[in-house]
Amino acid sequence: MASSETYSEQDLVMALKSRDDQAFSYLYDHYSGSLYSIILQIVKSPEIAGDVLQEVFINIWRKIESYDPLRGRLFTWMLNISRNASIDMLRSKGYINNQKNQEITDNVYGSDQVTQTNIDGIGLTKFLEKLKPEQRVLIELAYLKGYTHEEIAQIEDIPLGTVKTRIRNALLQLRVYLK
Amino acid sequence: MNPQEYILSGIVESYVLGLASPEDSAEFERMCDAHHEVRAARNAFELQVEQSLIHQKLEPPRVLKSRIFSEIGMEKDKQPPGIIANTPALIPRKGFARYVAAASLIMLLGSVLLNLYLLDQYKKSIAQYKELIATQTQIAGANQVMQTKLETYENALGLMKNPKMAIVKMPGMPASPAPSSMATVYWNTESKEVYLLVNQLPMPVPDKQYQLWAIVNGHPVDVGIFDMDKNFSFIKLKTIPKAEAFAITLEKKGGSTTPTMDAMYVMGKVTG
Repeated sequence: MASSETYSEQDLVMALKSRDDQAFSYLYDHYSGSLYSIILQIVKSPEIAGDVLQEVFINIWRKIESYDPLRGRLFTWMLNISRNASIDMLRSKGYINNQKNQEITDNVYGSDQVTQTNIDGIGLTKFLEKLKPEQRVLIELAYLKGYTHEEIAQIEDIPLGTVKTRIRNALLQLRVYLK
Repeated sequence: MNPQEYILSGIVESYVLGLASPEDSAEFERMCDAHHEVRAARNAFELQVEQSLIHQKLEPPRVLKSRIFSEIGMEKDKQPPGIIANTPALIPRKGFARYVAAASLIMLLGSVLLNLYLLDQYKKSIAQYKELIATQTQIAGANQVMQTKLETYENALGLMKNPKMAIVKMPGMPASPAPSSMATVYWNTESKEVYLLVNQLPMPVPDKQYQLWAIVNGHPVDVGIFDMDKNFSFIKLKTIPKAEAFAITLEKKGGSTTPTMDAMYVMGKVTG
């Protein structure tokens, strides 16, 4: 299943919708690395990130029929599937229990660097570093933890309006940063 | 809000990154349909994100690709593509788990069959056991009957062998209602106990009983009444210290104080 061919986005979507293995292979080769890095930034553990990535690609393959190019680019669609799957994983019982065990282990051995891959300096993390601390916390809670604005207002004990404003400003900065 | 203001409200970024609420998203999609500027702004931001993230790769574990392809390969074999698109996003079991599940099922089935077999065997054993118990009870019962009979015969033999036993034969009288009758008294000369052996007597009618008499100094003395059911065995009656003769008469049930002479069946004199 070599994916030497190159596709325009439109052709790729057409090929994927007709369940073309070669197109799917191309999709994996081109996007798995980026999606994996986003997943890893959310779930932290490489092992879990691998499981999530597998789930994500199987879901992409299954749900490609429901992808609507009018609503956004293919990458955006896949990015959101990845982020949602990662956040679902964060909230799963298995993950929470694992984290508790991890915390105990970390407390015992006094280190939290052992199991977490160093993801500083990539993607969103790099952008987050440029934000003001009060904005950064909110973006982390919203994007990497999946909390709603209301939940963040409760967690941080700040008015909902402030949460919205800070997130909005941070997102507008993101646009500038990405230029 | 005009499209330009709307674009700068942060909704484009929220929507693309999946941070917008469902209501805001729905509104954004309406705005995209209505205003090409909004759509263009969305597309521009999407490209920015994509360009930025597409170069930020971390290599996932190498085995993942083949794992994913083997799974979608299996799904392809199962269902036509049109249906798959609408199936809920379940995470399929990994290969090993399938084998474990299949193996468990086989083991369960095997266990069920084994249990059925063992249950059948158990039921058979129970039936056999009950049969054996019944047979055993039957044998034990028969054995007891034999024991009792044997004891009776041993006692009888003991009496006959006893050298102190005087034997008084009582043949049927010529005037007896049954002249061929015969009975024998075994009289222990030392303990004076009297045992009767009925050799032959007709069965009495239900309201009558035979009675044995000893003739002492010419007078009849009651030795006791007896039934005929104890066939071929010695009947122990009263102790008689002295007698010249013994006789049996048929009397009313319960016996009489004096013998009915015309109902005398047998009589024998004591010799010596």
